[in-house]
Amino acid sequence: MNSIIGIAVKDIKTFFREKGTIFWTIAFPVLILLLFTAIFGREIPFNATIGVVDNDKTASSIGIVSGLNATGFLTLRNYTNVTEAFEDLNATNIRAVFIIPSNFEQSLPYRNATAFLTVDGTNPDVARIVEDGIRTLLLGYYKYAFNYTDPVTLNAEKTTITKNIGYKENIVPGMLTYPLLFSSMVVATGAIVFEREKGTLKKIRASPIHPINMLIGKTLAALFQTAIAIIIMSALAVVLLGPKLNWNVPLLVPIFFLGSMNGIALGLIISCIGRAPQEASNAATTIAIVLQFFTGMYFPVEYLPDYMQQIGRIIPMTYAAQAIRDIMVRDATAAALLWPIATLTITAVILYVIGILLYKRWVEKE
Amino acid sequence: MIIEVEELSKSYGEIKALDGVSFTVEEGEIFGLLGPNGAGKTTLIEILCGLRRLDKGGATVQGYDLIKDTYKVRGVIGFCPQETLLYDLLTVRENLAFSASLYSLSSKKFKERLESSSKVLGIGEFLNRKAQHLSGGMKRRANLAASIVHDPAIVILDEPTVGFDPNMKREFWHFIRELKKEEKTVLLSTHDMYEADELCDRVAIMHKGKIAALDKPTVLKEKIGGQATVHIRVRSDQAQKTRALLKEYHFVAKDKEINIPAKDAWQTMHEISNKLISHGIFTEKIEIVEPTLEDVFIKLTGSRLTGSEVS
Repeated sequence: MNSIIGIAVKDIKTFFREKGTIFWTIAFPVLILLLFTAIFGREIPFNATIGVVDNDKTASSIGIVSGLNATGFLTLRNYTNVTEAFEDLNATNIRAVFIIPSNFEQSLPYRNATAFLTVDGTNPDVARIVEDGIRTLLLGYYKYAFNYTDPVTLNAEKTTITKNIGYKENIVPGMLTYPLLFSSMVVATGAIVFEREKGTLKKIRASPIHPINMLIGKTLAALFQTAIAIIIMSALAVVLLGPKLNWNVPLLVPIFFLGSMNGIALGLIISCIGRAPQEASNAATTIAIVLQFFTGMYFPVEYLPDYMQQIGRIIPMTYAAQAIRDIMVRDATAAALLWPIATLTITAVILYVIGILLYKRWVEKE
Repeated sequence: MIIEVEELSKSYGEIKALDGVSFTVEEGEIFGLLGPNGAGKTTLIEILCGLRRLDKGGATVQGYDLIKDTYKVRGVIGFCPQETLLYDLLTVRENLAFSASLYSLSSKKFKERLESSSKVLGIGEFLNRKAQHLSGGMKRRANLAASIVHDPAIVILDEPTVGFDPNMKREFWHFIRELKKEEKTVLLSTHDMYEADELCDRVAIMHKGKIAALDKPTVLKEKIGGQATVHIRVRSDQAQKTRALLKEYHFVAKDKEINIPAKDAWQTMHEISNKLISHGIFTEKIEIVEPTLEDVFIKLTGSRLTGSEVS
């Protein structure tokens, strides 16, 4: 058997028999995928219950209350006295108390009608939505009743550049980047570190196999393991989440390949830098955990703070994550992917050459 | 000569691990490197296997230059280090297949070698068992099988029986002799004088990075180890009388034990035995103690093979 294939076959067999490695490279990312989707992926309509005390009982106050009812995001609970309403607010049974005083309709033509709103500020987001909603409704009602005209009219319009996607459509492409870090980088580090730790590298080095051939064999094994992880994750994502994505395999394969090569090269570098095998292994896992937040795996890069985006720009995996999301979500064409492909190719070549040089230096030092 | 080493030197910082070592190994012989830990045996072996760089000197292995033809040299050597280098999660067969792949062995040749190794090393019964489920002895056999699966002309064994019980050691010696029958050249390092004496055709005694002596074990013992000794043990109450009777001999006595160095040990033992019996002294034990390689080492270095100084 060819020595390169021999190394790859040995590594693959060992991989499939090592339960711990399988967990971290396949089962763990799947769990993360499901967990994130369960937490953030639900599309729950906003709704808050507020207490209403209508002391005016006029056509205007009744019109405002029915308008609040019609908003769809507020559930109204009517109270006859203010004390009762505030008791429920303090007991957190309702989010806000809205009071329409008895002279409300009378004061409207004079533009000094006042209604009162007390909002539970514990959750600022909910408080803001409730307050803004009621303020907008009151202004709208005034405009309707008295033909009030805004000095400037803004015709706001929203357009959707990408497909109208949910969280699962965003996280699935991001999570498919996970194997590029964990299966490629961590497995590549582990493959060398394991041989060092176990002493088996001595056996390989005493044989006529050239160090570069050994690294090629290990790279093939890591690529295979990454491919398996990606296929399993994709299948599970489709079955369990059913995201509406563009599975453009001819475009995805080169991105996954180049991303994996970057991960493997980084793993190779880390394995040669670590003085002790365990040190290198821990470093790879830590780096992978940190990098995943900068690469836009869980959220599109645009969601990240500016400084995180800047850091993300120097990490090859960010380009892979972006390209994968572009293909699957935005239906990107091959022409649109030239820049990430070029970036990933250049970084892969540079990192791999550095990895080979470091490995050779390390072997000579040994 | 299948291995020729010339003025090989290697230092680790200030420490000279090898200091101008020269020797040759003939084809088909079992050649031993005997010395305590730190004598330079492992460094020498690792240089020959291409695992370490030499500082000075040179060597050829089966005609290949160690530096210029490193990969060719590695191809003709089967290296078996003292630690077991098997992959625990792979079966013995898979471990051997992996070793064979490192030497680009064809499937046909691998099958042949597997059969041959199974016969010689008795690994056939556990070929399909994962290495992690093997006993210590099985692991060592599988390890040796993996080292020679590519049918190398030279087998290099670094302290192959360290940690073995006497039975396992004997069994392993048998395997090494089998390798000789297969016309392999064996270079083994050991700090066990019995192992060197028992197995090796020739022995190089190493001390502080140098070869202190090199020859057949019998020749070394004869030339350097000194004379054989007649060892006598008598009853405690007869010890004084015995010493008085044997005053014409130069002996070393301690309590009821008496050692008499003798040029012709058999003749001397015969004479002493007759003399003691005629004076009514019956020995508890009388035997000839031949010099060992340990004696040779002590004579050469002033210290024991364990590294301790001789008091």
